[in-house]
Amino acid sequence: MLSKAAHGDVAAKKKKGPGALATAYLVIYNVVMTAGWLVIAVGLVRAYLARGSYHGLYYSIEKPLKFFQTGAILEVLSRVFLTWAVTHSVREVQSEDSVLLFVTAWTVTEIIRYSFYTFSLLNHLPYLIKWARYTFFIVLYPMGVTGELLTIYAALPYVQKTGLYSVTLPNKYNFSFDYYTFLILIMISYIPLFPQLYFHMIRQRKKVLGHAEDYSKVE
Amino acid sequence: MRSTPMIYCRRSVEILDAKTKDKLCFLDKVRTYTISFHHDPQWYPARQSIRLDPKGKSLKDEDVLQHLPVGTTATFYFRDLGAQISWVTVFLTEYTGPLVIYLMFYFRVPFIYAPKYDFTTSKHWVVHLACMCHSFHYVKRLLETLFVHRFSHGTMPLRNIFKNCTYYWGFAAWMAYYINHPLYTPPIYGEQQIRLALIVFLFCQIGNFSIHVALRNLRPPGSKTRKIPYPTKNPFTWIFLLVSCPNYTYELGSWLGFTLMTQCLPVAFFTLVGFIQMTVWAKGKHRSYLKEFRDYPPLRSPILPFVL
Repeated sequence: MLSKAAHGDVAAKKKKGPGALATAYLVIYNVVMTAGWLVIAVGLVRAYLARGSYHGLYYSIEKPLKFFQTGAILEVLSRVFLTWAVTHSVREVQSEDSVLLFVTAWTVTEIIRYSFYTFSLLNHLPYLIKWARYTFFIVLYPMGVTGELLTIYAALPYVQKTGLYSVTLPNKYNFSFDYYTFLILIMISYIPLFPQLYFHMIRQRKKVLGHAEDYSKVE
Repeated sequence: MRSTPMIYCRRSVEILDAKTKDKLCFLDKVRTYTISFHHDPQWYPARQSIRLDPKGKSLKDEDVLQHLPVGTTATFYFRDLGAQISWVTVFLTEYTGPLVIYLMFYFRVPFIYAPKYDFTTSKHWVVHLACMCHSFHYVKRLLETLFVHRFSHGTMPLRNIFKNCTYYWGFAAWMAYYINHPLYTPPIYGEQQIRLALIVFLFCQIGNFSIHVALRNLRPPGSKTRKIPYPTKNPFTWIFLLVSCPNYTYELGSWLGFTLMTQCLPVAFFTLVGFIQMTVWAKGKHRSYLKEFRDYPPLRSPILPFVL
C-alpha cells in the first residue's frame, strides 16, 4: 500500500511541470469552444421563437457561423496541431518561452472573438468589442505565429534525434514518413498562409471600422 | 463547337447578365437566328451559359425557342463559365503524366534515390510486373480517350486541369517512389499473392474496357442521347444487372489488385481516395438515371452490388 502511494506521488510529480501548460490551454480552449457553439444554439432558438418556424433559420445564424468556420478552420487545425503534435509530444519544448507566447496570443484573441460573437448574436455589440476584435489582431496574429514557429523550430532537433512519429524503410507496408521534414514543410506553409489571413483581416478592418469612422464624422 | 439556341418564330428576345441583370442585347421580331457573342473572340460559345433563370441550369445547344416556356418577349440570362478546356485535352494530359513519371522512378533516374542506384533496376520480378501493369493501365486510358469515349460535354473549366493533374501526377510519383525503391519489400505471401493480384487486375481491366465499349455503343456517333445501359453478349457487362456504374466497380477492382500485387500503403491510399471519388460520381449518375427513366431497373446499386 505504502509503495503504491509513493509510486502515485512520483507519477504526480512527473506530470506536474511539463503537462500543466498544455492541459491549461486545452481546458480554456474547450470551455471557449463550448461557449461559441452555445452562442450559435441560442441564436437558433431565438430566431425560431421570433419567426415561429424553421424557415430561414440558417440565415439568422449564417453570419456568425461563417465567421466561426472560415478563418477559424485554419486556426483550429494549426492549434490542434501545435497543441498535440508539437507541444504535447515533445516534452523538451513545453518549458520554452515561445509556448507562452502563442498560448497568450491565442487566449486573448479567443476571449475577444467569442465575446464579439456573443454580443453580435444578441444584437447588442458594444463598439469597444468590435474595435478590439479588429485591432488587437494586428499585434496578436504576428505574436501567435512567432510563438508557433519558434516552438516548432525548438522541437526539430529532438524530433530528428529520436525519430519521433517517423517510419523508415524497409518495412512490409513499403511506406515511410519523416516527421522532421514534415515539420519543416509546415513551417514553410506559413509563408503563403499567414500573410493571406493577416491582410484579409486588415481589409475586414477597413470595411467594418471604416464605416463607423464615417458616421462619427457626420455627427 | 457549341452554339446557342436556334430561334424559329417571330418573337423578341432580350438577354440579361445573370449577376448584374444588365441588358446585354435585345433582338426584335426574330425569325431564324442563332445567338452567340462573336464580338469578342475571348467569349467563345463553350464558355457561354444561357439560361431561363439566373440561378437555373443552362439551356442546351439543341433547345428550340418555340418549345421553351417563355412569353412574346423571351428573357434569357447569360453567365460566363470562365475559361474552358476540352475534356480530351484534360484526359490526355492527366494520363500521360503518371505514365511518364512512373517510368522515371522505375528506371531510377538520378536525384530520386541515392546516386549508387542511378539507372539500376530492381532485383524483384514483381517490381517489373507492377511497372508493366501500371503502364498498361494508363496506355489503355489514353487509347480509350482517343478512340472509345463519347463525351456529353465538350469542355470543362480550365482550373480543373491543374487540380486533376496534381492529383494524378502527385499520387503516381508517391506510389512509384516506394515500389521502385532499392529497399522495397515484396509481398509477404510471395508468388501466390502476386498471381492472384494479377488475375484480379487483368480481369478488372478487361471488365472496365468492356463497359466503356458498351457505353459507347449506346450512343450513335455525334449524338448526345442518353439510354439505360443493359447487359450485352459480353459476360463482363452482365454486372449491369446489379450496378449502375460498373466501370467504376471494375476500376476499384483493378486498383485493389494493384495494391495486393505491390503491398504498398500509398497504393492502398490512392485506391481509397479514388474509391471515395468514384462513389460520389456513381451515386450522382445513379440518381440522374432514376430521375430520367421511370422504368429504371430497381435491383441496381450505384457502384457496389447491394451495398453502395
